[in-house]
Amino acid sequence: MIEKPITDYDEEVRNCSCSYCGNNCDDITYLLKDKKIVGVRHACRIGASKIINDQDQRLLNPLVRNDEGILEETTWDVALDKTARLLYESDRPVLYGWGETSVEAIKKGIKIAEKTGAVMDNQSTICHGSSIQAFQNVGHPVMTLGEVKNRADVVVYVGTNPMDDHPRHLSRYTTFPEGFFRKNGRKDRTVITLDPKYTNTAKVSDEWIQFNMNEDYLLFDALRMLLKGESLDEEEIAGVPTSQLENLIQIMKNAEYGALFFGLGVSQTLGKQKNVDMLIQLVEDLNRYSKWSMLPMRGFFNVSGFNIALTSETGYPYGVDFSRGYPRFMVGETTTIDLLNRREPDFFMAISADPGVQFPGYTIKHLINIPTIQIDTHWGPYTELADIVLPSTRVGVETEGTAYRMDSIPLFMKKVIDKPENCHSDEWILTQLYERIEILKQEEDN
Amino acid sequence: MKVINLVMTKKSSISLEFDNILPELLFDKSLRQINETIIYRGNKEEPLSHYFDVSIEGECDDAKECAIVIDGDLSRVKRIGFAMTCGKIIANSDVDFHVGACMSGGHIIVNGDAESYAGREMTGGLLEIKGSVKEFCGSSYAGEWRGMSGGQIIVHKNAGKQLAEYMIGGNIHIKGDCDILAGVHMSGGKIQIDGNVNQWFGGQMKKGTIIINGNVEKMLPGFVLEESIYHPLINGKQFIGKYGLYSGDKTVKGKGRIWIKK
Repeated sequence: MIEKPITDYDEEVRNCSCSYCGNNCDDITYLLKDKKIVGVRHACRIGASKIINDQDQRLLNPLVRNDEGILEETTWDVALDKTARLLYESDRPVLYGWGETSVEAIKKGIKIAEKTGAVMDNQSTICHGSSIQAFQNVGHPVMTLGEVKNRADVVVYVGTNPMDDHPRHLSRYTTFPEGFFRKNGRKDRTVITLDPKYTNTAKVSDEWIQFNMNEDYLLFDALRMLLKGESLDEEEIAGVPTSQLENLIQIMKNAEYGALFFGLGVSQTLGKQKNVDMLIQLVEDLNRYSKWSMLPMRGFFNVSGFNIALTSETGYPYGVDFSRGYPRFMVGETTTIDLLNRREPDFFMAISADPGVQFPGYTIKHLINIPTIQIDTHWGPYTELADIVLPSTRVGVETEGTAYRMDSIPLFMKKVIDKPENCHSDEWILTQLYERIEILKQEEDN
Repeated sequence: MKVINLVMTKKSSISLEFDNILPELLFDKSLRQINETIIYRGNKEEPLSHYFDVSIEGECDDAKECAIVIDGDLSRVKRIGFAMTCGKIIANSDVDFHVGACMSGGHIIVNGDAESYAGREMTGGLLEIKGSVKEFCGSSYAGEWRGMSGGQIIVHKNAGKQLAEYMIGGNIHIKGDCDILAGVHMSGGKIQIDGNVNQWFGGQMKKGTIIINGNVEKMLPGFVLEESIYHPLINGKQFIGKYGLYSGDKTVKGKGRIWIKK
């Protein structure tokens, strides 16, 4: 069935940024009627769905769970006072999420974490955290998506399926658009997908190279060997015929501008950080022959912004523990899932994230037993766990703010419509909490 | 010889951090002072006596003559012997993260298993673990390029992933098996593994020596068999049997040496 175009609207707001994935498409047009969004143009199916459907299950008032275990409406003062006291009195608080809020709110969060000795962590801990560790260990040759659009003639996707996860990635940045040096768009580019699965991205690629799951490290190591002119004794590496790898290396060496994108298929399989480490060094080695750069396919629209803001403040990208008054970071020790597995946190606040969806069941069992706070825009599985719910506003729709695209380009996300009357921005909520914590500290000092 | 006995009286679900419980910091302290020594629990500081009964036997004038013996369930006690320079610590239980991390001297004995980062960035001394260790034993801090640079780690059972990552010196002896990526990015020192070793050992290794007495998964393509030798003398110690000597990792033009018993 073909949907009819929306014509019943009275206002268009152009050049907005999408608040779904790390593409941060900034050519979105919102169609408004009576100051409500009735349609979205240019967004992908997921981005459009998020904007439209999020309006259905909005959290509209602060909620506190009563003695019978039911969430009931309350005032902002009661909800904020209670949250501030729980946070201030906790010994091992965790502030998690931040991938779908603005950098301005994240900076407020860092101040709270520092003040309360909390752990500050985001969704990287369950996705590209291992990639960021590798970046910090060996660096990485960066690029902007604009460069890819205008220059890239060879595009390689490894362990990622943007056709389903980042639907406009190929059409807007890498494969199909006409660029300054790629006037014929798709015809001027070679697209190769390396993936154990025949994904939708593999289907639109010129070549799909299937390799064995959990043998990423071996595959990239072999490619580096071939690039350096060494021969491989074996006929097959990681399930790929050596001749196919030799052919791939030739294509990569002969590229005028190569762009490599990788996903969780690399960073979350056996070897994790070391897979990315090896892949980075493959790309570095390729720069002896041609111009090559790489990027991780970041998920949430500002998950990258969190890593940038936190690194700027503390030197560490995620899972930063302020419990001793200074920042510490150790994978497996100060990262959220590991802390919850060890049953350490005694306070958990999720900001624009839903651990009820993202976390393993064992960790959620611990969340049932400790005070849990939700700062978010809509009802979700985590709301069922939360003791206090603080309804916030959507960045890029109801609140302006800054977000970083997957290539670390900051984008201003403008406000399109007014927020619901009794909701407040993440930044406002966190400022209120900080002020209340300051008062509690002063009371204790006196 | 002075022996400070710590017996855990109360377990905490939040890890306790033992940075201040070192022979060099406690050898000249009275019982009351030791009881008041600060340990860290989450974002709070608490006296040692909240969680441990303390008793002292003997006297000493030098920290080298001081030993700390810790009893109880220490699986939530981190940083035992962290940055230790001398003396002895005996932990009679499994221990939490960072045991012996950054230590430069002295002797630590763990009569149990150790969590991750045991002996991380160690520069001297002896760390002996009677059980197994988890990931990153003898490795570097996150983002750091230099792991263990001196001293000795002996593990009587198995080791987890990324053993001795970025190791630049010292000795590690694993008497059991070892998981993936042992000696990855290694540029010095020696690792001896008596058991079986999972894949990708020596990845991007530049220098140093790995000796494997058990079975191995496939080698990375960057290693080349140089020769096979009977009863080789490796770093001054003779090993019995036929060993293959591999060099690599050629991916990084490395000159590391891996000896594998045939």
